Amino acid sequence: MRARIPRVPQIVALGGGGFSMEQGNPLLDDYVLSLTGAKRPRVCFLPTASGDADHYVVRFYRRFSPGCEASHVSLFRRDQGTGGVEDDLATHLLSQDLIYVGGGNVVSMLGAWRAHGLDSVLRQAWRKGVVLCGPSAGSLCWFAESLSAFHGAPRRVRGLGLLPYSNCVHYDAEPARRAEYHRFVGDGMRPGYAAEDGVALHFRRTLLERVVSSRPDGCAYRVEPAPDGVVVETPLETVYLGTADAGASTGGSNEASAAKARAVMGRTAKGRSRTKASAAKPLRLPPATAIAAA
Amino acid sequence: MNAPLLLALGGGGFTMEPGNPLLDDYVLSLASAREPRILFLPTASGDMTAQINAFHARFGDRLCIPEHLSLFRLGDLRRPLAEIVLEQDIVYVGGGSMRNLLAIWRAHSLDKLLEQAWRAGVVLAGLSAGAMCWFEGGVTRSSGPPAPLAGLGLLEGSLTVHADGEPERLPVWLASVRDGALPGGWAVDDGVGLLFAGRRLQRVVSSRPGAGAQRVDQVAGELVRHRLAPELLGEDSSGALGGYDEDVQELRRVNRLRRGILGEGL
Repeated sequence: MRARIPRVPQIVALGGGGFSMEQGNPLLDDYVLSLTGAKRPRVCFLPTASGDADHYVVRFYRRFSPGCEASHVSLFRRDQGTGGVEDDLATHLLSQDLIYVGGGNVVSMLGAWRAHGLDSVLRQAWRKGVVLCGPSAGSLCWFAESLSAFHGAPRRVRGLGLLPYSNCVHYDAEPARRAEYHRFVGDGMRPGYAAEDGVALHFRRTLLERVVSSRPDGCAYRVEPAPDGVVVETPLETVYLGTADAGASTGGSNEASAAKARAVMGRTAKGRSRTKASAAKPLRLPPATAIAAA
Repeated sequence: MNAPLLLALGGGGFTMEPGNPLLDDYVLSLASAREPRILFLPTASGDMTAQINAFHARFGDRLCIPEHLSLFRLGDLRRPLAEIVLEQDIVYVGGGSMRNLLAIWRAHSLDKLLEQAWRAGVVLAGLSAGAMCWFEGGVTRSSGPPAPLAGLGLLEGSLTVHADGEPERLPVWLASVRDGALPGGWAVDDGVGLLFAGRRLQRVVSSRPGAGAQRVDQVAGELVRHRLAPELLGEDSSGALGGYDEDVQELRRVNRLRRGILGEGL
């Protein structure tokens, strides 16, 4: 029935957003679902990064049960029979159309995944064409490296390395991250992509296919060192899903998004002062990001 | 300096005995500080809110400075882990998945930090996964059925917990000791604690009459078992604890409210 044609590996890395952070805004989750090509996609949630927080699992089912074959895998409650899927985890995960990884602590998540062998299962699933996605920690994990901001000074975290770049999330919501990310890329962390809340980086195989957003002003950036050693941040053309057709593969080079990209360019020209000014503001995070912060 | 102390509970304490504070009071009595700083590590449960709340409910009114450390949720403080752990008098580790506990500690290099703390005289305590983790091995149900798993090896031998409360665990442990997958060690009932001074078993205590522990070794392919009779806590422990008056409790309550601990968790 499923997957008659070979599927291409795809990852959608959310800088923040989706059902856990944007209640009432289904755009990013709908976009991810559309990539599966399935009428009733099999979607499995991995809430590991939150410690399998119950309320997160509940919100997942609330969002995905209608319209999807929803399931979840808990790595903490397997002894109590409340771990969601109880059979062979690998078989279950490899039979999905979409694996949705929740936010939380990326270091803890990667540690637990490796202990249960999920790192290699997820790599296999990706190769097989199961769409992988997630916000925050659920974004960072797919990349070669990223920045963790838990407990003390930020440090480099090695991810699964499916995408050979670095990654930074919550790029607008947590201004300190922008400066830290630039510093790390300047100090030899590999070049990569930064995404604001509500913005998703869609990769086909290992190439960035498109940047989409659930917010009209959302943006993502390519961050890399220039030949002179200075770190350069280039805004990426971002398609707002509120007007574009989420499912269709329009190349994204339409006039509206080009104009938007120009507008974003103008905005980041003042990036430094903007970062400083917003540093004093309280973080505009909904309660859910207490666990969604990577 | 005296040998570092470690209390391994087969089960019990604030997460399992809401109406029985004997083991938790005993934990506090092990610290030399009058008002010990006690840090709860709920890692093995994935930092379950219920465990964290139970910890603060139990220790919030006692003569101590309770705090918990989440490796999943970002707290207000972004202090380095080393700073948080090494300033404690007691570190208390909760139950849950032993496999996840060890993997996550290692990912954060917390395993090394806890060993350092123990050597520096911080009292370590824990139940279930939080007790087995200190030994060379234990029996975990992290993947469903009970299976042997290597621990940190701070203490020699292996440990199995809930010997009375989870009957399916003990036979797996005995078989593992018999066939050499795990070294000999202790099987501990719910409500029983083994107190180690350095690597030496110093005392066996219990919060429940009838609960016990046993030492099991493999000798020439045969299991040799010795029963250990615990001292029942509570009969003379009010004196040992020194007691504390209403003023202190009141002070702790006020401090707790001021720190906003009631609003913690998610």
